[in-house]
Amino acid sequence: MKESNERPVCHRADDLVTYLYNEATETEARDFANHAAACDACRAELVVFRQVHESISVWRNEALGSTFSPEPVPLPVTRDVGLPTVPPRRRLSALDALREFFAVSPLWLRGATAFAALLLSVLAVLAVSRLWNKPAPLANQPTTNAYSQEEFEAAVAKEVKLQMELLKSKSTSTEGPTLTAKPAEKNRPTQLAENRTQTKTRPRGLTRQEREQLASDLRLIYRDDDDLPFVFSEEPNQ
Amino acid sequence: METATSDEQVVERALSGEPEAFSEIVRRWERRIFALSFGMLGREEDARDATQETFLAAFRNLRGFRGEAKVSSWLHRIAVNQCITRQRRAKVRGETALEDEAEKNAAVFAMPSDASPARTVESLERSVAVKRAVSSLPPDLRQVVVMKEFEELTFQEISEALELPLSTVKSRLYTALRQLQMRLQKFGGPAR
Repeated sequence: MKESNERPVCHRADDLVTYLYNEATETEARDFANHAAACDACRAELVVFRQVHESISVWRNEALGSTFSPEPVPLPVTRDVGLPTVPPRRRLSALDALREFFAVSPLWLRGATAFAALLLSVLAVLAVSRLWNKPAPLANQPTTNAYSQEEFEAAVAKEVKLQMELLKSKSTSTEGPTLTAKPAEKNRPTQLAENRTQTKTRPRGLTRQEREQLASDLRLIYRDDDDLPFVFSEEPNQ
Repeated sequence: METATSDEQVVERALSGEPEAFSEIVRRWERRIFALSFGMLGREEDARDATQETFLAAFRNLRGFRGEAKVSSWLHRIAVNQCITRQRRAKVRGETALEDEAEKNAAVFAMPSDASPARTVESLERSVAVKRAVSSLPPDLRQVVVMKEFEELTFQEISEALELPLSTVKSRLYTALRQLQMRLQKFGGPAR
């Protein structure tokens, strides 16, 4: 018999191999089984081919192992079996980032950061307190420095007297100092009395601002020069 | 083989430069190609070499794969060519008979100790006979037998892989089985 590709003896060779390898449908298998029962050639070949098939299977199992499967190796699944996996990177909030920073930073860095934060806080508090406690205008000063009407008049009177004395002393400077001294001596008890009475109400001392303000007030009060008890010369030295 | 991503899509990814894509092709087809190579060549060592060479050749010629054929057909064609080339070289060197004898002797020592000597020898002789019979088949018939017996593919899958009509595949297998039966009778094998 030729060993080339010759035609099978039975015309149902395709059905034979399909039946042999169990790939026939139920209907096809039943049909071929009925045919093989009636066809000697197919029945004989079926027996022989089963032996060849078994021999090849034995050789295959011996060579590759009975457990060998040509199916692809499945991909390793690690997530389903609870093996540790790298967690996905999470976005840190600012607070988490700060916590992590302090967790990994050395002690000296933590101390320096804390000190800097404290210093910044103190400076911020000072700045805020200065803004809240800024000096008020003179009119709004506390009452301890505010003048009552009586005090004001007394202060004005005193200033007026002082100015008058100065004028007199200047005008009588050629006559001698007695004249200037006498008014001072004459008025001294009065002045002392006044000083005593004013001791309680007299302010401790006028600041420069207060003096300037007083002077401006005086000018504002005496609007008309004729009301002044004295006349200021424009050039007193003359 | 039903896969979520088809072989052709994986090859496209490999062509686009994805480094892991070709590894996926190897993973999917390595065992089948090895089984085919073993059936064609008859020796594990040769089968491993042929498998590696198959995938190397496939990787080198990846850009030549235009998607006109199936990946399975393409790989099978490469593997069969590799096996045929190897067999020709072996024949030229006259190594086949010596290899068979060496394998038989090695298998004797590897058999389980509780096996009877007669059965051991008979089993080995049968395996060698079958192997020689398969190896002596023409390449086109051998290919179908190996794909059916070693890769355990269905007729439809063999038809798609070899790009042959279904009836042609069945006809070739029938013819191969008939020739094997005659060869085994000639070698004194079990198929009588």
